[in-house]
Parts: sequence; structure tokens; C-alpha cells
Amino acid sequence: MTQQSLGEFEELVLLMVAAQHDEAYGVTILEGLEEKLKKKVNISAVHVALKRMEDKGFVKSRFGGITEDRGGRRKKFYVITALGKKMLDAQYDLRNSIYKQIPKISFG
Amino acid sequence: MKKQRPYPPQLSLRFFRWFCHPKLRDSIEGDLMELYEERAKEKGKRKADIRFVLDVLLLFRPGIIKPTEGYQNLNTYDMYKNYFVTAWRNVVRKKSSAAINVFGLTLGITCALIIFALVSYHLSFDNFHHDSDRIYRFVTEEHRDQVDYEASVPPVFGKAFREDYTFAEKVARLCTRTNSLITIEKGEISEKYTDQIAFAEPAFFEIFNFPLVAGTLDQFAKPNTAIITERVAKKYFGNEIPLGKTFRFYNNFDLTVTGVLKDIPVNTDLRSEIYFSYSTIKQYSEWYAADDAWGGITSDIQTFTRLQPGVDPLEVEQVLPAYVKKYRANSKNVHHYKLQPLTDVHFNAKYGGVMDMTTISILSLVGFLLVFTACLNFINLATAQAVTRAREVGVRKVLGGFRSQLFWQFTIETGLIVLLATLLAVTVAHNTMPYINSFFDLQISFNLFSDLKLSGFLVALIFTVTFFSGAYPGIILSGFKPVQALKGKLKAVQSGSFNLRRSLIVAQFTIAQLLLIGLIVMVFQMKYFGNTDMGFNHEAVVIIPTGSNDEKLNSLKDQFSVVPKVESVTACFAPPASNTNQWSTSVLYDNRSEAETFSISYKGGDENYLATFGLELIAGRNLTTSDTVREFIVNEKFVAKLGLSSPEDVLGKQLGVNGNSWKGPIVGVVKDFHDQSFHSDIEPIFITTRKSTYNVFAVKINMKDAANTLTALEKIWSNMYPEQIYKYDFLDDQIASFYQTEQRMMTVIQVFACIAIIIGALGLYGLVSFMAVQKTKEIGIRKVLGGDVAQILWIFGKEFTVLVAVAFLIAAPVGWYVMSQWLSNYVFKVDISIWMFVLELFIVAIVVMVTVGYRSVKAVVANPVESLRSE
Repeated sequence: MTQQSLGEFEELVLLMVAAQHDEAYGVTILEGLEEKLKKKVNISAVHVALKRMEDKGFVKSRFGGITEDRGGRRKKFYVITALGKKMLDAQYDLRNSIYKQIPKISFG
Repeated sequence: MKKQRPYPPQLSLRFFRWFCHPKLRDSIEGDLMELYEERAKEKGKRKADIRFVLDVLLLFRPGIIKPTEGYQNLNTYDMYKNYFVTAWRNVVRKKSSAAINVFGLTLGITCALIIFALVSYHLSFDNFHHDSDRIYRFVTEEHRDQVDYEASVPPVFGKAFREDYTFAEKVARLCTRTNSLITIEKGEISEKYTDQIAFAEPAFFEIFNFPLVAGTLDQFAKPNTAIITERVAKKYFGNEIPLGKTFRFYNNFDLTVTGVLKDIPVNTDLRSEIYFSYSTIKQYSEWYAADDAWGGITSDIQTFTRLQPGVDPLEVEQVLPAYVKKYRANSKNVHHYKLQPLTDVHFNAKYGGVMDMTTISILSLVGFLLVFTACLNFINLATAQAVTRAREVGVRKVLGGFRSQLFWQFTIETGLIVLLATLLAVTVAHNTMPYINSFFDLQISFNLFSDLKLSGFLVALIFTVTFFSGAYPGIILSGFKPVQALKGKLKAVQSGSFNLRRSLIVAQFTIAQLLLIGLIVMVFQMKYFGNTDMGFNHEAVVIIPTGSNDEKLNSLKDQFSVVPKVESVTACFAPPASNTNQWSTSVLYDNRSEAETFSISYKGGDENYLATFGLELIAGRNLTTSDTVREFIVNEKFVAKLGLSSPEDVLGKQLGVNGNSWKGPIVGVVKDFHDQSFHSDIEPIFITTRKSTYNVFAVKINMKDAANTLTALEKIWSNMYPEQIYKYDFLDDQIASFYQTEQRMMTVIQVFACIAIIIGALGLYGLVSFMAVQKTKEIGIRKVLGGDVAQILWIFGKEFTVLVAVAFLIAAPVGWYVMSQWLSNYVFKVDISIWMFVLELFIVAIVVMVTVGYRSVKAVVANPVESLRSE
């Protein structure tokens, strides 16, 4: 298998899924992201990212029970997989290692 | 409550539901609704509506939209996966019945595969020659008081036909000699081989597709040239170039190799690998080469032709009587020359075909029956266990499974088991093929990948067996009424009629008993061969070739007779019964003006012939010592054929045989003995002295210390003929070889009968287990109420006794009919007696008792508390 890629927005969604462990579904992820990013995020973007990552095997999903809310629709909860976690770690290490190469500069 | 909630724009929601992938629809719609409600609360309905429509539009993108080709496929694949999972679970859960099924099917399929390989091997014989539909062999019907069939015509026939008529494109004569002595001089040493050779006309290689790889045919018209195959070239000359090399034939004449043939394929009856040019034949036999050789027929020489396109063989046969009129006008042996198609050569036993079509059909039938019984077994077990799967069927139906889906599910299950059995069968067949080849003297290859016919057959077999054994249980199972099935009210009766299951068992046992009856009759007939006195002594008689017919013969005889433990020695044409050296001739008796209508068979031998073979004189005296024809001894049959009552009547009368060239008085009459195998009647024979025809020594030895005696004989012979190869046979072995076909056939039937019985027993076992499970409660109650074990056992016993009895009533008459047909091949045979059937029934009874008994005793001795506690 070729090296799996992780887009910038996908990475954010994945981080959010990991952070909201076992409680993450469309709306919570959307709200979490809006809160952190301090800007409007589109629900469609979140769902597309989730679907792609599920296909790639970074997250897996399960259905919640049916409640009176949401027009009686089930929630689809997402959980990060081992592969997804590995991917996040790799991204983190990559950024960290590059960051560490920045020479000490003091501004002002 | 619900109505008070704000509701998103209907149109866009419907749009979303329409385009969204069904797998995602629920959760995304839920998210949308949740967000909508939240926003409506915070920012009002209008803003929420706008956001909703925007979100829906933004979701309209690949990944969310459902695929156009239909997502349903995914579901069906999953269903198929489920079929396999269910099938596997079933196999694992019911290990014993799965094992019975797989084992039974494996046996059946293995037999079918092997039989198919065997049959297609035989059917492929000589099918690789160009225009083989126009190739014929000339054969002869000899009409005397009875009709004999010869696979050849007079030696000169081919030549005459070629010159006189234009029907044929090519005519070729072929003279085959087996076990010929070939010597190759290699410096000091000379290597000796005994191989089959054939004298062939050049046209032979134009009719038959045996291509040359080196040399040309041009040289092959000349005398003393030879063509050999690559294999023989390698054997004789190693890696040297064979062209131009020479070898000797019977230390008589030299041959030079002028061509090398590609190796002969296995599927041909023309097995010679060494061909001498036909012009060399003069040096071998004057008579074979003579232009007036119309007087007789030798089985050595076969004549083949490829007719011109469009020529009708019947048209050709109509002109052939002209030869008889012209050259054999006075003979009492009226020849009728016929054309035998090449495709018939391998199969027509009358003309020496190896494999007759009857045997092929019987084999195919047996193969079919074995697969059939294995399938019956499967059906039987599957329907018997149908009840245990009623719940599953109920649930599947309630959840919306169609009947056809259930049917396919069970068919796939069957297919899996068949596939497993086939894999095993292929492995078994592949590993047993070498043994079968050596047993039948065959060279069948068993290669699935290179043999398209075989792999095609295998695929067809898998499908047929799957459908045949899967369809009925599939129909039964898929026909269950869901409510009844779920309530557990289904009874065995509904899971396929019990009568049907009974008839399946009856069918299986009919087949098994049929084979068993056949086997028993064959065993008795073979025993009869072994035990019946042939009328002469054939024990402890060693047959050794004479080597030559000059004075060395007498010298050898003298040397042999002084070896200790040698009881008597005779030099003779052939032993009293022989398959290889048979020669019959017309006979002129006393002063009668015309030859008799019957032929008489020649048994040449010196004055020790009668003593060595223990032939009993009933009138007259023994022959006196002579090297040429002087006196005759005849048998009782000859006297009877002449219509005379007493053997004394022929004594002193003149006899003329071999075209009246051998003449002399009859001096003795011997008691009849079997001069051929038990297939044929005893023929009139005459015994006389003629040294030049002696082929073999027959040496009667004392079997104590036989090894030393044999070594002594070999030493004497090899000293006399250092340039030849010594070989010997026991007469007993030669006689046993008369019945080699029967021996083989018997072994084959034996194996098949065993397999049929095993398959039958497996089926029986399956049925008994089913009955035992069904009757658990009944047995428990009976025991509680005081029924004893024997009584309860009889519940099982009577069922199967009846079934086997019915099968027997069907098998016995059929078996009797078939075996009487088979026995009619023999003039001397056993009568089919009632005891054979009793024996057969006894064997089957034991098998049934063991199978049924084992399982039912287990059921009967179980503690009734166990079976009655529940409920």
C-alpha cells in the first residue's frame, strides 16, 4: 500500500475525533472545530473528511441508539483507529522535528 | 411535541434523501436536523433554513452521492459471504455427517475420474492419423463348419489389391514379430536385445501419422534398411547419430538405419518401434514374400489401406470374392475378406481388439452408478437433517428471504461439500493412477492442467453432482412454512417423504448387491478355471525356447534330460494349451475324396510329448522317434467329428494335413484335453513329429530344489547359444495368463463392489442416526414401560431388513440375467446356483447388521432418564 496521505482539514478532524474519544459524531466534531478555530466550518466538509478517512481506515464508526432528538435519526459515532493514531503521531513528529531545526531567534 | 418543532425545507430534505448514499443517509440527516434545531433556536427559522439548504447543496459531492450503478451489490455479496459462513458452521457443527458426505462423494468422484481417464484413453486410440475415417484394415472371415475371424489376409493380398484395383489411395502391409533377437556389435562386445519388430512397406508411413525426425523414406524401399524411433535409437546407440548404424536380426541378416521416427504415442495399437523395409522379408520367410501366398493366413501380416475419398467400403468388399474364386477355388476353408474401419480395431474383440465396447460401457455405467449412489447418500442425509435447520429457514423467511434465495443458499452449501470432495478425489486419483497403470499395463497420464477434456469433465461433474444432490434438499428446505418452522412443529414427514428416503436406500443397496452378485459369480468362475482338470499335466513344467531347429536341438534335449530332478523332456511345437502358437489346417481322412469341413489343430511334439504332459492314450500306441512326419495321434474329438463311434476305428487309417503334404497313418487316440482356454470348446487335434516346427522344450522337473535345476538348465542352454537371450516360463503361468483379462476385471469389480457397499453403508448409517435421534423419546418411554433391549432394537432392525430384502429382490434377477450373459462367453462354465445369492445376502446382512447395530445399540442402551428428563 502506498503511503497514506492526510490533508490539513482531515488532520484537524482526525485530531478532534481522537480528542472526543468515543463521543465524536458529526455535530460535536463541527462544534469542537468551530470553537477551536474560531471560525465557521461547514458540516458537509466534516462529513466528507470523515468518509474519506473511514475509507482509508483512520477512523471507524458505530451507530448509536435511536433517540427522540434529531428527527429520530441515529448518531454515527467515530473512533480513531490504531492506523489513524500512528498517522497523527507521524505528522506530529514531522512537524516537531522541523520545528526543532528552527535556530534560536529572538525577536526584539 | 413533534409538530411544534421547526421543520427544515421539505424540498431540500427530499433532495438530500434522494442523492445521499444510503449508508450515510441516516447519520448525516441526523446531524443536519440537530444543527437545524439548534440554529433555529438561536437565530430563528429563516437563517436556519438558509444554512440548511446551503449545507445540503454543499453535501452534493462525490463521496456522499450514492453510486449510479446501484449500491445493492454490496449487500448481495455480503449475503453470499453469509452463505459460506453458514455452510462452514454447519460442516463444523455436524462433523460426522459432513465426514460421511465428503467421504462418500470422494469415493464416488474418484471412481468417476479414474474411469473417465480410462475410457477417454481407450477412445483416443489411433485418432491422430490424417483422414483416419478412410483408413481400413483387411480382415478375413473363415467359413468352415463354424466361422473364425482373423485380423489379417493372405500375405500376398495387399500387393495384389494394390495392383488390381484403384479403390485405394495407399495400401501397406505390416508384418509384426514380437520378442525378436537384435544384436549390435560394439567393438569386442555384442549387445543383445529382444524387441518387437515389424516389416513395413513405405506406404505404411504415408497412411499412418508417424513422422520422421531424421533421414528420409526414400531409402526405405531397399532391402536391409530400417527405421527406428528416437527411444530405440537412444537405447541401441546412446547419444551417437543412429543414421547409417547397423544391427543384426536373429544373427541372420544386417540392417542399416536410414530413418528415425518421433517416439510412438501411447494411444496406438501399432506398437512397433523398429521397422524393417518390407523387401527384407524374403530373408525372413520365403512364404511371406511369395507371390502365390494365397494358401493361408498368418496373424503376423496385417494389411492396411486408405481408400480414395468417396469410396464406399462395401463396394470394395463386393469385388474381393473374385480373389477367393481365382486362388482358393477348391478350399473347404472359404475366405470372406472384409474391411474393418481403423476406429474399430481397438474395440473389436473378434479381431483381437484389446478393449471391447461392452467393457467400456460397463465401466462407464459403474462409474455413473457410483457417483449416483454417492449423490443419493447426500440427498438422504441432507433431507434427514432438514428438521434441524427449520428454525434457520423460518428466520430467513421472516426477514424477507425469498424461496429462491434459500434454494441457492443450500445449493451453494452442497457445492462447497462437493468441491471439497472433488479436491480430495483429484488428489486420490492422481496418486492411484500409477498403480492402475501398472495393473492394467497402461500409460494413462492424469494431468488436470494439460488435459482439457479431463478438467472439463471435472467441472461438469462438480456442477452435475452439486445440482443433482443439492436440488432436492434445497427444494424441501426452502419450502418450509415459516410459522410452522419457527414454532418447531415441523415433523420428519414434512422434511421429505420417508418413503422417498426408503427408496433411495433401496436403490443404493440394489446397486451394491448387483455388483456383489457379479463379483461372486466371477470368483466362482475363476475358481472353476483353477480347479477344473485341463486334461493334461501343467504343473512343474518349464517352457524354454528351442533356439534353433538343427542338430543342436537333439543335443540340448539329451543334456537337459540328464540334469538331476528333471523328470522328462520333450521338444514340441507348443504345449497342449497355448495362446501364442496356434495353427489349424484342413484335413483329409482315409480315402475320402474331399477335405473335411472342420479344421484340425496341430500339436507337434516328439515321442516324449505324451509322457511329459501326462496325456492319456485310449487306443493305439505312442509315436515312434522321428524328425519328420511319419505317424499321427489324434484326439477323441476328431473321432467324434468324423462321426465314428469307437477310437479303434481310426487306427491305421491314412491322414493328410497341411494341404496333404504331411501324410501318414493314425497310430493312436488320446483322451480329450483342453487345447485352449475355457472360453472355447475342445477342438480336433493331431500330434505328430516334425522337428523343424518345434518352438519350445517342455521340461518336467521336480519342484524340490527347483532353483538349482533351473540354473542348471539355463547354463546348458546359454552354453549352446551364447549369442541368444535365455528365458523361461512356467506352463502354469502361461495358462493363468489366458484369464488375465478376467483376473483384472474381477479385481476391478471387487474394488467397485467394495466402494458401492461402503457408500451404501455410509448412507445407512446416516439414516439410522437420524432415526435414532427421532426416536429418542419413543425408546425412552418403551424402556420405562419395560420393553427389553432386543425388542427395541427390532424397531430399527425390521425397517432395514425390509429395505435390504426389497433391494435384493430387484438385484437378484438383474444380476442373474447379466451374469448369465457374461458366462455365455465361456464354453466351460459354472452354473449360477442359489448358494451364490445366499452368500451375497449373507455378506450384505453382515454389513447392514454392523452398521445399523452399532448406532442403534448406542441409542437403545442410553439411560431413558436422559431422554425423558427434558420437557
